[in-house]
Amino acid sequence: MILPDPLDRIPPRLALTHQPIVRVALRPGDRPLVANGDRVEPGQPIIERLRHAQVGEHGLHGHAMPAPGTTFAEGASVAGSGRRALRFDGAGEVVCTLPGGRVRAVVSRHLATVESPVAGTVTALDATALSLRADGTGIVAAIAVGEPACGPLVVAVEGPSAELRAQRIDVRHAGSILVAGSRVDVESLTRARAMGVRGVIVGGVIGTDVHALRASTERQEASVHASPPFALVVLDGYGKRPIPPDAWESLTEAAGQTVGIATTPAMVLLPPDAVASRTDGSRVRVVSGPFLGRTGRVLEMIGLRRLSGGVYQESARVALDPLAPPGANDVVELPIADLERHG
Amino acid sequence: MTSGATPSFTIDVGSASIAAALIAPLDGRRRLLASAAAPVAVGAEALLRHLVNRVSAADADTLPHPAAWPDWPRVECRTVPPPRVALAGVSQRALEPLEREFTREGWRVTASVTADRAQAYDAALAIRDPELDLLVVGAPDGTARDAIAQLLAVVGAVASQRPGLPVVLSGGGATAVPGVAPDRTLRGHGPADTVAVSRQAIPGRLAGREAFVRSVASLAQILDLRVEGVDVGHEAATRLMASPDGVLRRIVLADGALVPSAALEDQRLLDAIARWSPLPDDAYVVRDRLRNLRIAPWRDATSDGARLRLAAARAALERLQDAWGDDGRDHAGGVQWPFTDRHGHVPTTAPDLLVASGGAFAAPPGPAVALALVDTLRRPGAVVLAHDHARVLGPIGMLTDEDERRRFLAEIVDAALLPLGSAIVAPGLRAARRGTVRVTVHGVTTTLPLTAGAVQVVDLPPGVSATVELESPDSLFVGARARRVSFEVTGGLGGLLVDTREIPLRLPDRAERRRAYLDAWQRPLWTNAEP
Repeated sequence: MILPDPLDRIPPRLALTHQPIVRVALRPGDRPLVANGDRVEPGQPIIERLRHAQVGEHGLHGHAMPAPGTTFAEGASVAGSGRRALRFDGAGEVVCTLPGGRVRAVVSRHLATVESPVAGTVTALDATALSLRADGTGIVAAIAVGEPACGPLVVAVEGPSAELRAQRIDVRHAGSILVAGSRVDVESLTRARAMGVRGVIVGGVIGTDVHALRASTERQEASVHASPPFALVVLDGYGKRPIPPDAWESLTEAAGQTVGIATTPAMVLLPPDAVASRTDGSRVRVVSGPFLGRTGRVLEMIGLRRLSGGVYQESARVALDPLAPPGANDVVELPIADLERHG
Repeated sequence: MTSGATPSFTIDVGSASIAAALIAPLDGRRRLLASAAAPVAVGAEALLRHLVNRVSAADADTLPHPAAWPDWPRVECRTVPPPRVALAGVSQRALEPLEREFTREGWRVTASVTADRAQAYDAALAIRDPELDLLVVGAPDGTARDAIAQLLAVVGAVASQRPGLPVVLSGGGATAVPGVAPDRTLRGHGPADTVAVSRQAIPGRLAGREAFVRSVASLAQILDLRVEGVDVGHEAATRLMASPDGVLRRIVLADGALVPSAALEDQRLLDAIARWSPLPDDAYVVRDRLRNLRIAPWRDATSDGARLRLAAARAALERLQDAWGDDGRDHAGGVQWPFTDRHGHVPTTAPDLLVASGGAFAAPPGPAVALALVDTLRRPGAVVLAHDHARVLGPIGMLTDEDERRRFLAEIVDAALLPLGSAIVAPGLRAARRGTVRVTVHGVTTTLPLTAGAVQVVDLPPGVSATVELESPDSLFVGARARRVSFEVTGGLGGLLVDTREIPLRLPDRAERRRAYLDAWQRPLWTNAEP
């Protein structure tokens, strides 16, 4: 008989990634401000981005063709020199030269900068994206909306299951990243952005609120003046969902330090000394159903069980931690698909 | 590799879940001994060890050397997210055939752009997408030279900045893309040829889905039946019709996924899925549960979660049916089928056997899966329904030797295909009229009323055959029109479904009324499933 690890069929939470690679996509007209191999610090401008980019065309008038991808500053010559030099009305990037001898470029007179969300090294830079290897650790998230952002971390709720109310956000939080508990609504998000908060970390979110935030982000991009970056990162999924315990521990430990939010992939970026794995590897968290968010320990695997709905699922007997210690453990039978190993 | 002498494993690694089966020789032939599935993060080794342990615990003599399991042969099939392609052409109209063909062959078309100045930004953005796998430039014969020159200048300039991106030139209107090295440029002629050539640029990316197609074709051959296969997974869906002569038609659809990735941002898509849900929850709650089904599809699989999962599966099958191109309607007395087999025969009724596979059907109970198939892939006539519960069809399709594949399938087919039951779809009975259903099993006849616009469940256990006779005052449409018709059917977990509802099924627009209909149709199958 081969004895399996009783927990090995319970999916692990893919929570922490050491020195993760994060990516910032480059749009047409974007000008990288760093080079491959450069060190970057949190908040350092890494990309100059065109706002309200438009497509312009100019005749070459016999000048040499500029190479596609050539970036130019406002007023700078794209081809030729002197009074007859080819200049566009703004900064931008040459897209192509058309057969009739016209140069097509993406241009804008409004520029913004994209800041690095993390301390790290530029590992790849091409026409499509800029990749950074972060120095620290990343907490993998389910969803991220907005732009990469960074700031000092403020734990704004009492526990991972608490909710952040809009009235608790004020100007003291300007420039920071807030840990907002199990759910945040659109009112709190709007207020946070208005107060200059750079990001919100939360366990769950209602889909319509994400929808509203995306629409708000588009409106911000369409406005004349650039606003500071703002990001929402959701660690566990849609609905009200407590922050997973390992993530909560890491976040509370990193309170006061500068952390970042990456959107590709969705991730919270912690400084190298902020993460400590205190769990013993045998504990589980309930990720669905009436015990959502509760943690505990698997007592035994009990094989296939016929559950509500006539569904057969591999199940386990789990001793759930008391809701308010000290107290008795609740022992329940749960499908292992609704559990997650952590630690 | 898969000789009958030693036990072996089949492993189907999907985008969200992994399924494995243990197959071992018993009494001179291979038998499917155990199977299991888990989230893909669990990994194959834990699953295989579990299977060996389960079989050893049940009968210690079945596997003589269980400790040697890591060395046993494995047949593995892997499906990955659909490859992404951007299309560029002289006009949107010219790109439509290409877009249609790529969409039907399992690609995700991320953009269809032209060289117009108005689209220049979008074109550059699309070609610079870091996730893009392929750029196709449509330049068909007969296109104006100026238009092609402009297109090539625009596309070539952007593509030249992506040295690793393969480019396919479709049509004879151009010979090269300026700025793109010839060694990364492929040539295709018509849309179908372009798609075939494009596969060379992404070797192996569609192999898992093609394996399922090969397996179902082999199944049709060994059973000598017309077999329809449908596989709905986390990232795409596959559907095909095969006869003993080979594959008649197939489609692989990225949007056929259980909950497509676009649904995270597209509320209309979520609402289209929620239309199939009988649950009375608020719309925003259902949407969030569906989004969670996309993010972590293995969770929340019991109780209401199972019903919601099957609602998503129904919506996926509906999208697959829409893309298939046959609405199943009665056109001038006969269903218009867009294909024939190589003998010119036009299949006018349901296939003989419909096999469902994929993670979408893994958790819900068999009878409920049977109804989901009947609700969406509606054809007049009788069909036997089966479930590839161990997900062996994909891995077996990876066997390149046709004879070996058929032998393998023939030996395990009885255990690999879980009988869900049979369905007779016979619309045509007018409202408030009644007919008769006579079910004869072992010479004993049971008579039941045949009601219009309903689905009736007749208890018919797995392995039991029956003769079913329908008699109606109105002509029933079962491929041909008749007032009296009989079928030979076999039983299954869901028994026999006698369905007189229309084709295609139309659901009421009003939410309460729609949910009431769905609940009435589904309740008999779910009630039996309660523990």
